[in-house]
Amino acid sequence: MSITVAEPQVVVDLIDSSQAPLLARPYYQGSDPGPIVAALAHVPEVLEVAMPFISALYGPSALPVRLKEIVVVRTSAHLECRYCIESHSVVALDAGFSCSEILGLRDLDDTVRERWSSDEAGEPALMEWIDAVAGATGSVSKDSAGRMREYFSDAEIVELTLLIGATMMLNRFCTALGLPSSNGTLERLRAEDLL
Amino acid sequence: MTQVAEAIASGALPGRLWMYSNYHCNLACSYCLTESAPKVAKRELPAELLLSLAREAKELGFTSVGITGGEPFLLPHLPDTIERLAEILPVIVLTNGTLFTKERLQRVQRFAGKPVALQISLDSPDAVVNDTMRGPHNFRKVIEAIPALVERGVQVRIATTMEEMDESDMVRLCALHRELGVPDEDHIVRPIVRRGRAVDSAMGVEAQAADLPPELTISADGAFWSPFGPTVHSGALDTDLLVSRTTSPLQRPAGILLRLVQGRPPGEDSKLGIK
Repeated sequence: MSITVAEPQVVVDLIDSSQAPLLARPYYQGSDPGPIVAALAHVPEVLEVAMPFISALYGPSALPVRLKEIVVVRTSAHLECRYCIESHSVVALDAGFSCSEILGLRDLDDTVRERWSSDEAGEPALMEWIDAVAGATGSVSKDSAGRMREYFSDAEIVELTLLIGATMMLNRFCTALGLPSSNGTLERLRAEDLL
Repeated sequence: MTQVAEAIASGALPGRLWMYSNYHCNLACSYCLTESAPKVAKRELPAELLLSLAREAKELGFTSVGITGGEPFLLPHLPDTIERLAEILPVIVLTNGTLFTKERLQRVQRFAGKPVALQISLDSPDAVVNDTMRGPHNFRKVIEAIPALVERGVQVRIATTMEEMDESDMVRLCALHRELGVPDEDHIVRPIVRRGRAVDSAMGVEAQAADLPPELTISADGAFWSPFGPTVHSGALDTDLLVSRTTSPLQRPAGILLRLVQGRPPGEDSKLGIK
């Protein structure tokens, strides 16, 4: 599935290192902090609490990286967030996903889960859970919850579900503000035929 | 005693809270930090907000407030508001000194004997030099206003902001301020800071947070490290000295500022004499 959502139109100025507020400066040291930080830097007191939260969820934790990227790419596909799909397709490549797996995560057709081949039996259950949480509104089916409980502990279900919710929040934030992918990300996706 | 009060008592944090009452000005000085001019957006802090911030400041342990802009006396309510602020904490108001008509002199006469000081800008003993930077007739208006205020018992300080001044000019300037009734201890001299309009003309000194005393400053755009923080260049607010967008409760930006000060490596104090 190629990315068909609209080209971003950046809505706010992205703060560069010369204008980084005092609380934001640690995020600018050494490298480009990326557009999420560059946007959040407008409100530094929010940035300084948001980034540790985001890092705790998206950085190393008890959950395998592979499960996290399944969550982020598929949730972002549901919410049609171009920035998140593009940037996390690259993260997924780096985490060892094949191009066909990434395209499968972006494909919201129900049959993808049935065709999903992985050594990890819980992955289709997780995809079903993502589809139920991010792809619908209202209550989540007991069947989906039951299948999650077959494969994951309570702690894992909580963390995965919070990751879905946080990704939905960031999806809407990035889409609404039209945050742009870096040239490096776009070149990598172009080379892998993932654009 | 609050942590802020302890920091102020120990000298770690200056005791003055600065508030930008507005950004518009009847002048358009060549080195203005905020690109102020008659037609810029006013971005006022309403009188009631100025008063409530002063009350919060007092509770936190601040010892005085400063009002700056823009030209604060463009706000019709300002004399009344200053009088009310002075009932909470001592007040210093930065003004270009060009708006003291007979009527306004009458309105500010009530500051006599109260903890209110007006800090008026005067950059040179020569009218032509002063007015080149600050605008036509500025010199004349200022040297008329200062003695009129002093005669009415209003405390006046003179601030000289300068790029370069030779010794003989400084001697003449000091003779002038004494003649106007302002003693040496109420004359401050400071460098032009290269922010705002001064960037375009490459005037003044570059100043980072480490060069500036950490004086909590509130404007319509948020809380800043210093009154030299909420500057404007090419119409855009500078954010490099932004502390927080949250300004109320005042405890929030004050706490963040204190945390930033306490995290600053020793020895990184101001060396440029900016005040």
